[in-house]
Amino acid sequence: MSAAGSPGTGRTVHPGVRLTLLLVLLYGFLVAIGLMDGAFKLLGEEHAGGLFQGVTNPFAGLAVGILATVLVQSSSVTTSTIVALCGSGQLQLELAVPMIMGANIGTTVTNTLVSVGSVRRSVEFRRAFACATVHDVFNFCSVAVLLPLELATGYLRHTAVWLADHLHHLGSGGGTFNSPIKVAVKAGSKAITGVLGGLGLEGGYLAAALLVLAIALIFACLMLITKNMRVLLVARIEAAMNEVLGRSGLLAIAVGIAITVAVQSSSITTSLLVPLCAAGVLRLENAYPITLGANIGTTVTAILASLAAEGSTGLAIALVHLLFNVSGTLLFFPIPALRRIPIRSARRLAVLAVENKFVLVAYLSAIFVLLPILGILVFR
Amino acid sequence: MLEWLLGDDVGMARIQQHFSQMIEDGRHVFDAACNTVLGGTDPGVVREDLHKTDQRINRLEQQIRRELVVHMTVREKAEIGTCLKFMSLVKDAERIGDYGKNIFDMGQECRDFVGDPMSADLIAVKDHVSRMLAKMRNLFESQSTEQARRFVDEAHAILRHCDERVSELVRDASLSRRPVVAALLYRYVKRVMAHAMNIVTSILVPLDKLDYLDEDDGDRV
Repeated sequence: MSAAGSPGTGRTVHPGVRLTLLLVLLYGFLVAIGLMDGAFKLLGEEHAGGLFQGVTNPFAGLAVGILATVLVQSSSVTTSTIVALCGSGQLQLELAVPMIMGANIGTTVTNTLVSVGSVRRSVEFRRAFACATVHDVFNFCSVAVLLPLELATGYLRHTAVWLADHLHHLGSGGGTFNSPIKVAVKAGSKAITGVLGGLGLEGGYLAAALLVLAIALIFACLMLITKNMRVLLVARIEAAMNEVLGRSGLLAIAVGIAITVAVQSSSITTSLLVPLCAAGVLRLENAYPITLGANIGTTVTAILASLAAEGSTGLAIALVHLLFNVSGTLLFFPIPALRRIPIRSARRLAVLAVENKFVLVAYLSAIFVLLPILGILVFR
Repeated sequence: MLEWLLGDDVGMARIQQHFSQMIEDGRHVFDAACNTVLGGTDPGVVREDLHKTDQRINRLEQQIRRELVVHMTVREKAEIGTCLKFMSLVKDAERIGDYGKNIFDMGQECRDFVGDPMSADLIAVKDHVSRMLAKMRNLFESQSTEQARRFVDEAHAILRHCDERVSELVRDASLSRRPVVAALLYRYVKRVMAHAMNIVTSILVPLDKLDYLDEDDGDRV
């Protein structure tokens, strides 16, 4: 039991090698965004628009965002795709905003499913389910307030565009400076497109092949980045979690942001909280700010993806994601009365789910599958 | 820079450090409590210190449990067996502090036991146990199986001695109130020793046989 002999540290591969691999994966991820961007351009407005035909209604957009994220089990993949679509000019920013909000809701299904693991032990399940659904309820509340506000004023869109234009201008120094990242990404995606073109693919076939390859590459890179970062930073994550147990507030939000930015997945962060809450070592009040941090931290993926996108629209939608989660946090965290809404709702939902397992099944299928499908059918 | 980014891998080491602190505190409570019964220490002098130390032991037990849950949650390849062992051993370490507290309570009630003819043997046993508690801490850190076996043999001898003395006192009808004190003391000292022994047997036996060294088939040691 000596510390010196502790196995399982997960550092059998040298950290330097893992970091190098990480940079390669990050490059792969950006190239994938570049490929997707190229695929959408090749498809052209008519065909690419067809993919999202009927999604002119914001509620349909919200439903698409939820359903797409539930299907791919990753908001990072959804938001990166939306960034690529916006960057290539195939999706209007205005229509993309509700989709981003939907992706935020859809991603919460992962930790809710994790909480189902303790369904046979009612006390643990009650705590676990409340921990998982506090994320859902927070997102519902944010969407309920911010989506109508956005539709009425466009404040998220306008602020994001303003910020993106300034950042873009800052990055290019006001001239025609090409970022070295974009140059490197372009070279990579051009080479792959060239290889596929050399195989005789062209037009719609080439676009379809690029799209499939890009999605596969985004999945693989994000999965491996998450896996690598988790192994690399496990000691830091453990120390941070130990530090934040029993604490609430800004430190917990900061820890949530830091872990999520590091592992590039809010689901990893929020899913870590579920067993801690189930065991009772983490209270819901302390888990809540970590969840909010995870929500903010996950927006960094879309920002990274925007590095590979053309123009400033990709960056603008990534910033919408960030602003939406920051606004939600500012609404539902600092004011105790508002903070209690997601916490109490999640607790109540958990009690209902313990009393009647049908509530659990109904909740999962209605929120993450049936309502989004209905939303798409009704509002398209 | 890279090392800073990764942080020190202190997960289990931190837990072990807290556990060692529990053992150290348990020994302190045991020594100070026994001194109130056997050495004539004024209970008022040590009361606050013992209370604080006992609370620290309880806090450490809870902290270790929390850290174990975090460790197992965060690490994909957590040392599950080691974590479960610690989960069980913290209870033993906590009980040592608890028995020390029981001894202290008795010391407050029986101020006249100091100098009793029975106290000479009890002082010898208490000193022996105290030395073994110190040895236990080092042994737990070094994980030496050879020394652990010697420790367990020595502990068994003390347990037997305590049992024999309790039997003698129970049978001796000529004695009055003081044998009760001595019997309880033997009982508590024995329990302290038994919990210390449980901790050390974790070096020798597999997880499922914790606390049951006698039943171990030896094949898996």
